[in-house]
Amino acid sequence: MVKKLVILKGITKTYYTGRIAYQVLRGIDLEVEEGEFLAIMGVSGSGKSTLLNIIGLLDKPDYGTYILDGQEVSKLSKKELAYIRNRKIGFVFQAFHLVPWATALENVLMPLLYRGNLKKEDEERALQFLTRLGLEKRINAKPSELSGGEQQRVAIARALITKPKLLLADEPTGNLDSKSSQEVMKIFKELNKNGLTIIMVTHDPEIAKFAQRIKIIKDGIFVEE
Amino acid sequence: MFIKYRLLWGGLFHKKLRLLLSVIGIIIGVSSLLLMNSFGESAKLKTLKEIETFGPEVIMVVAGSVRVHGGRAIQTEITTTLKPDDAEALRKVKGIKYLSPVFNGDAIVRYLGNNLTTIINGVNEEYILIRKFPLAEGRNFLKDEIFGYKKVAILGYKVKNQLFGNEDPMGKIILINKLPFRVIGVLAPIGIDASNADQDDQILIPWSVALSALYNVDYIRSIYLSVESLEEISFIEKQINEILLKRHKVSERNKDFQIIKAEDILEVKTQTTKLFSSLVKSISILCLLVGALGVTAIMTLSVNERKKEIGIRKALGAEDRDILLQFLMESIFITLLGGIIGVLVGVAGSLILLPLFNYPLVFPWSPILISSFLTIIFGIIAGIYPAYKATKIDPIILLRQGF
Repeated sequence: MVKKLVILKGITKTYYTGRIAYQVLRGIDLEVEEGEFLAIMGVSGSGKSTLLNIIGLLDKPDYGTYILDGQEVSKLSKKELAYIRNRKIGFVFQAFHLVPWATALENVLMPLLYRGNLKKEDEERALQFLTRLGLEKRINAKPSELSGGEQQRVAIARALITKPKLLLADEPTGNLDSKSSQEVMKIFKELNKNGLTIIMVTHDPEIAKFAQRIKIIKDGIFVEE
Repeated sequence: MFIKYRLLWGGLFHKKLRLLLSVIGIIIGVSSLLLMNSFGESAKLKTLKEIETFGPEVIMVVAGSVRVHGGRAIQTEITTTLKPDDAEALRKVKGIKYLSPVFNGDAIVRYLGNNLTTIINGVNEEYILIRKFPLAEGRNFLKDEIFGYKKVAILGYKVKNQLFGNEDPMGKIILINKLPFRVIGVLAPIGIDASNADQDDQILIPWSVALSALYNVDYIRSIYLSVESLEEISFIEKQINEILLKRHKVSERNKDFQIIKAEDILEVKTQTTKLFSSLVKSISILCLLVGALGVTAIMTLSVNERKKEIGIRKALGAEDRDILLQFLMESIFITLLGGIIGVLVGVAGSLILLPLFNYPLVFPWSPILISSFLTIIFGIIAGIYPAYKATKIDPIILLRQGF
């Protein structure tokens, strides 16, 4: 039997603005197997970003259980969550979210800073990742000197440097032209083929096609197609 | 490893102008604090030097009532009841080393074509021993000259220079209020003493001559004396008081003389300098505080601007503690950098300004220590709020639309 990497049961989340409550997630159940490539589709305001925040341990659900890699994580402290984020999860964002003053190489190494000592091998490994993604000539460039596609590839290298079990992508092609989008999705495909589990949020059906499985979220709950 | 520190500190050097401005705020605070402190130290030293010519073993008996004000004994009422006999009567008190009656007045002094007005101090041969005035040349008065009404004079250094220039004054005759005096000695440069009088601008003559020939009075203005041992000074003061009360037939309430010790003058003087220097110190600490507030403001601004960076770091696994430390260290770095430059500026400033204002040159060790210590403290205080604010940033902002 294939191991389940992510198990969500009855996840709810409500936000309050003043006296008005928005129930963003209304009982999400989801199981993702190791090695799967899942796309979550939904329009803006459907709760897909909140769901991704919860899966990525950046936010906590109000109710429900979340088992990540065999560990119940919904009741852990902030410190423990930071530890798990650093070791098991890689993030790729729509707006790339690179540190503006740091070079491509430095951005890639950033997650390892919070693992204790940076070693010489880490630097070499970062260079390998950047080379594999075709950025060997841009290692000392600042994000502002890179194109959107290049920035997203740096962000992917940053997500992979920690050897995560799960890659979370939030509209990874949202800020890219179609050529760069195709490139990024090809990279995702290949990473998935090598065994990486990917959960990707998108509203673009063309991009969602790259995934093995598509789930659609509407008003805080998964719906059938 | 270098890249580790690049990753931790790189953000600090991203905005160089801002870094410079916040550092300058600290530089101003620290250097002014240091400058003020070294002026304070130097002023203390200056006071001590001044007090040297009016040592702790000296007692002054002044006729009339006297107020010690701003370090000087001011005669507020003149009486004619203190006589040379009173001075002689005090000699029977045990423990007195030297004693001299003093009558002081102004006079016009003349040598060849040169005229000047100066202070005449009528004293005896023990006076310069009490005041520890060194002689540059010549000799002290003889006992016989005092009692023999001899018209001899010892010149202050400035008076000698003004009257004689480079000429040798020894044995020359000068006119004091038209009376001829023979110069027997010159005092070495002394400077301004604790009572704020320029001791280089005076002429010493026998008190007998001052009373009889020069001013035609039968009273003296004060009696200077020094004691053998400092431990007995209060006891001797008491005895002097009793003897003079009896001789003048007055009570403690309406007495016509006053006894002043160096200690009394020093006390008032240090009180005034203390007040002044604490005022100045609090102003410069305020300067440093303003500098530190500047760092707080700029770091808070920086945290606001770097929300994204902080969110990224958190998403990548930074704990609150990591973020807190990072921003606290940035504030401390800014204040420390400003502190080091400020200390250098302050030291350079003191070394230049102290001699310019005629203050004794001291290398400001303790001011350096104090300002460095305060800088680090203020750096930590300045950084607490922005660093705390940084830890409160929630990484979920990263997935917000349009961020």
